[in-house]
Amino acid sequence: SLSAEKPHVPFFFCGTKTEALHWSARPRSRPAPTEEARSTASVASSCYSTSLQSTTTRVSFLSPSRSLPRALPHTSRREVSFNVQDSEDFTERVINSELPVLVDFHAQWCGPCKILGPRLEKAVAKQKGRVAMAKVDIDDHTDLAIEYGVSAVPTVIAMRGGDVVDHFVGIKDDDELDSFVSKVIGQ
Amino acid sequence: MAALYGGRHRWKRINCLHIFSRKLTGKYDYDLLVIGGGSGGLACSKEAAQLGQKVAVLDYVEPSAKGTKWGLGGTCVNVGCIPKKLMHQAALLGTAVKDAKKYGWQIPDTISHDWPTMAEAVQNHVKSLNWGHRVQLQDKKVKYMNLKGSLVDEHTVRGLSKAGKETVLTAKNIVIATGGRPKYPTNIPGAAEHGITSDDIFWLKKSPGKTLVVGASYVALECAGFLKGIGLDTTVMVRSIALRGFDQQMASLVTDYMEAHGTRFAWKSVPNRVDKLSSGALQVTWTDTQTGSEHKDTFDSVLWAVGRAPETKALGLDKLGVQLNKETGKIVVGPDESTSVPNIYAFGDIGEGRPELTPTAIKAGKLLAHRLAGQSTELMNYDNVPTTVFTPLEYSCVGLSEEEAEKRHGKDGIEIYHAFYKPLEFTVAERDASQCYIKVVCEQGGNGKILGLHFTGPNAGEVAQGFAMGFQCGATYSHLIQTVGIHPTCAEEVVKVHITKRSGLDATVTGC
Repeated sequence: SLSAEKPHVPFFFCGTKTEALHWSARPRSRPAPTEEARSTASVASSCYSTSLQSTTTRVSFLSPSRSLPRALPHTSRREVSFNVQDSEDFTERVINSELPVLVDFHAQWCGPCKILGPRLEKAVAKQKGRVAMAKVDIDDHTDLAIEYGVSAVPTVIAMRGGDVVDHFVGIKDDDELDSFVSKVIGQ
Repeated sequence: MAALYGGRHRWKRINCLHIFSRKLTGKYDYDLLVIGGGSGGLACSKEAAQLGQKVAVLDYVEPSAKGTKWGLGGTCVNVGCIPKKLMHQAALLGTAVKDAKKYGWQIPDTISHDWPTMAEAVQNHVKSLNWGHRVQLQDKKVKYMNLKGSLVDEHTVRGLSKAGKETVLTAKNIVIATGGRPKYPTNIPGAAEHGITSDDIFWLKKSPGKTLVVGASYVALECAGFLKGIGLDTTVMVRSIALRGFDQQMASLVTDYMEAHGTRFAWKSVPNRVDKLSSGALQVTWTDTQTGSEHKDTFDSVLWAVGRAPETKALGLDKLGVQLNKETGKIVVGPDESTSVPNIYAFGDIGEGRPELTPTAIKAGKLLAHRLAGQSTELMNYDNVPTTVFTPLEYSCVGLSEEEAEKRHGKDGIEIYHAFYKPLEFTVAERDASQCYIKVVCEQGGNGKILGLHFTGPNAGEVAQGFAMGFQCGATYSHLIQTVGIHPTCAEEVVKVHITKRSGLDATVTGC
């Protein structure tokens, strides 16, 4: 269906886009897998089950190698998005997520963010669990936002295996978001 | 527990949970450490960083007595210029909506204002500025720390976090730009418990309701102005005169306008006590000092606007021997913003004798950064600074007041041109323009160098900015009347002034 809804706001984002986000693929430091861990990890899901918390959607385990089969955690309830609580939470649920994660940096005072938020949720929901979405309020998590080079909001970064693989600033319409999300998942 | 210093050895000192090492080889953590992240502090630190200095800025907001706090950016951004101007605009729009009816707009007879809508919008904008400043510091490579800074010695600053964690930092030069905070009266029972200040008014989630504003500074009048403008019952209590330090004829035009438009003024009055009633309302008792009579009234809010005190107490300045002015408590500074202690500088609101304005703080900060980086010797010029009071009838000025000009040059040494004018927009709107006025104070003789320019009217700040440039260039009355006016504007009346006070003629000008 035609996404005829163009933003009626005279601006697409809040703040100034100072320079291009200077982290193209920004690896966040995370523990490097040891040789031992690599060998045990390649044995199906046994080491994963110990860290798997099936009661929540949170999955925290190392994904040292991309060649590992993606063992989707078998949680039935999957919220479309979650609010990042603190930097440990971000590390666990975003950096160490085995799913690709869209991080929506937004602010309470940002009008365009309120428009983009629901659209993003819709685009993510369409993917039926193939991608997760983390929401970061930049006033609550200023250091995190600064670390990821956020200047204007909304800024959405896509992370896969702890690396930034894509990003955009400002509002996008439904079609643009669908293709952005598909690209991130790798379809 | 002081560590022992010895020659060129490096000593480690454990301080609370934080371990740091103090290098005594003459190298410091930073080239420049700025305490205070307001208009001045941010400008200075960003400029210094751009000049290649290693800079850190400490910003910390001690919550107000009512618990209000805010983010990076200082007074102007959070509890001053910015929210003030936005709320002033909200009030002006209310007047405009009423005027609109006369211009043909079909508007309901009564319109009302919703405080929460305005407050949220204003607060959201301020928060976006907090963020913007944070990003700018990051871009300009200034290290930002949310710590309360105090001086340990002329090269060492202790920063305290909200959680009580200590960080010690050393710097070649230290700049103090901590500004000021509103004063609470000390001798009025109930003042602190029940009253608020400008630190709180812009962050209220609910309307302040019927308000008593105590004070007659521009803070008091501007706040009272927008409160009345959005429809709140507002009273201003003045101890002696309004807008002390400003031209008093202009000051009375400002207050006359406010009185004519519904603001109550309790002249020559001082509050005695503030009590909270069981209904939750505040009862204020005051004395009319002219008659000696006592009065009482109830208000929803009491706003104290009785002056601002410099933020120096917690800085540890006495320990270092940084000289303060005994009366004001501000830091005594030289023309280069230096203090009595080498390597320590101070500027902005905290400097004694300095204008309490954002543009002067910003400019002074940038020039200081240049001097500290060894790039220039240019000093800040604090003369010819224009300013505007954003009361319902705005007042802008540059240069001397009539009183000051008379004092310096004598009554016969000056010529004053003046005019009462009517903004064209007021005609159809049937608005009273009695207080719209222009006064140009010039030197007697010669081309009549302009000593002071004063203007009351709509958009006074916009009108005066261009004239301030002329003033800076040493404009004379001759220059003024050679300038062709832009028609139809209010500003054109400035270049058309020709009636002198001395002549005694009626200064009311008619339109074309």
